[in-house]
Amino acid sequence: MIWLTFRQHRAQLVVTFGMLLVLGVMFLVSGLEAAGYIAEHAPAGCPSLALVCGDLNAALSDRYQMVYNVYGWLPIVAPALVGAFWGAPLLGREYERGTNRLVWTQSVPVGRWLAVKLGLIAAVVAAAGLLMSAMVSLWRPVFGRHDVFGNVGTFNMVGVAPAAWWLFAFVVGAAAGALLRRTLPAMAVVVAVVAIATMGLFKLSAYYAEPTRVDAREWRYTGDQRLLRNAWLDPAGNETEETPQGVCPRGTDVGRSSAEQDAFLRCLSGKGYRQIVYLHEPTQFWRFQLTEAALLLTTAGALGAVTVSRVLRRKA
Amino acid sequence: MNAALEAMSLGIRYKRSWALRDCSVSIPEGRVVGLVGPNGAGKTTFLHAVVGLLRPTTGSVRTAGEVAFMAQDKPLYDGFKVAEMLKLGARLNPGWDQESALARLAGLGIPTGRKVGKLSGGQQAQVALTLALARRPRVLVLDEPLANLDPLARHDVMRSLMTGVAETGMTVVLSSHVVSDLAETCDWLVVLNGGRVQVSGDIEDLLAEHLILSGPVELAGSLPQGARVVGASRAERQATLLVKGVRVVDPRWVVRQASLDDLVMAYLRSPDEAALPRPAGVGA
Repeated sequence: MIWLTFRQHRAQLVVTFGMLLVLGVMFLVSGLEAAGYIAEHAPAGCPSLALVCGDLNAALSDRYQMVYNVYGWLPIVAPALVGAFWGAPLLGREYERGTNRLVWTQSVPVGRWLAVKLGLIAAVVAAAGLLMSAMVSLWRPVFGRHDVFGNVGTFNMVGVAPAAWWLFAFVVGAAAGALLRRTLPAMAVVVAVVAIATMGLFKLSAYYAEPTRVDAREWRYTGDQRLLRNAWLDPAGNETEETPQGVCPRGTDVGRSSAEQDAFLRCLSGKGYRQIVYLHEPTQFWRFQLTEAALLLTTAGALGAVTVSRVLRRKA
Repeated sequence: MNAALEAMSLGIRYKRSWALRDCSVSIPEGRVVGLVGPNGAGKTTFLHAVVGLLRPTTGSVRTAGEVAFMAQDKPLYDGFKVAEMLKLGARLNPGWDQESALARLAGLGIPTGRKVGKLSGGQQAQVALTLALARRPRVLVLDEPLANLDPLARHDVMRSLMTGVAETGMTVVLSSHVVSDLAETCDWLVVLNGGRVQVSGDIEDLLAEHLILSGPVELAGSLPQGARVVGASRAERQATLLVKGVRVVDPRWVVRQASLDDLVMAYLRSPDEAALPRPAGVGA
């Protein structure tokens, strides 16, 4: 069974690890080259998100525009590819070609056939996801980027997120193939589900933890926080979403001036109104990683159960 | 004698409609069974139930020992080499006979290093058949094994199937909607019609108990007792009947032996008639 699984998916294995190799080489070459460039040109303490590094950062992003572009697409393209080319054909192609009637009538029970296939490929997909995460985690610090929380694309490429996303996409593809019994429509379902899930979980992630509330005057943007919303506190300590009305005169700025707005804010401040900010801090990284992984893997588990019961129901 | 295949009140329902209803047959070991019926009669459904691809909605079906199956269109993995298909068989079946499989393919001149997708339709059918035979099954089930094959390939497939039967004494069940495919090779007939078993029996016995009578129409009313008219057609004042259970008839009838084709056609045209052995222990 193990032999059969690897033989059937030989092409996907070669392509998957070939692509990971290409990405690895791309990361390695750009990383080494960037390290050399930085050694020659960087002011002390760079690269980082500090102000003095601005010139260097701009130069780096010019040099590695193409690499950044590829990297930027990975969080959504990689799971879609995994789901479409590992998941969707797994059962869809068997149904399509009628080969399910060949393998399901051999002496090996159908349950074992499916368990070995799903299990082995899930393991391969998870391993590939962790490898991806390790490569990204080694590559970004070269450019002085240690922020892994604020940007959701990056967040989905580090820690356990790639493994969880890829497994999720794989099972979505397998389930769609089992239900639709066709490869191509199952691939389309994978792409749609991955896109919707990426958006959906981004929205949902605001609730993964109780947000931190800080006074706007004391708050400094570090580049790795997730801002949720602003609010106002009136002098009595009541919170309101809207900017206080009818308290201070509010003029309209003309042109590029912000004098009126500044005066308005100063006036509000003088009358005891304070602005506050709700945000998630990067210290929540693992809580967010594990919450997201749990959501994805629980859904994958449920879809896996649907797939298994669909196959075992014996409707050839 | 032990039954190689036994179905008891087997019924299978897809979503709303019944594909098979109340099918009971018992087929002795060592037979070559022809399963015939028009398209949509439930042949494939019946065979899928026999090999476990479908679960019965009602009743049961069981076989004596290992069953091998060759599905309609002979599915194989196109990207696999022939040798890899054999490896698949060996990995998935404990009783696999690699030696005989290799000998068969060599005898047929099918190169084991070639990809399955590059073989001709006839060669693919032979590989699929080899895969089934190498499992050394007690019962071999073939769904439309001759469909989509040219006459030469049909002949070759049938001949190698019969060689396999002669060597092992296994029971074979094969379906077809072309009766002439079966006349030479089968010794047991099962007719499925509208999801029900209409005929099941030894072909020689069936042919012996059915006669074709042609004669003037007015004679049709005076057949001997015990005679059952399965099918009748008339042209002008001439009637042609297929009757069951008659040995001696009015000499004005022209009598001839029914062929397998006559028999199958007459039953298929009269779905209410049946030629089945009485269920054991029931009736007089």
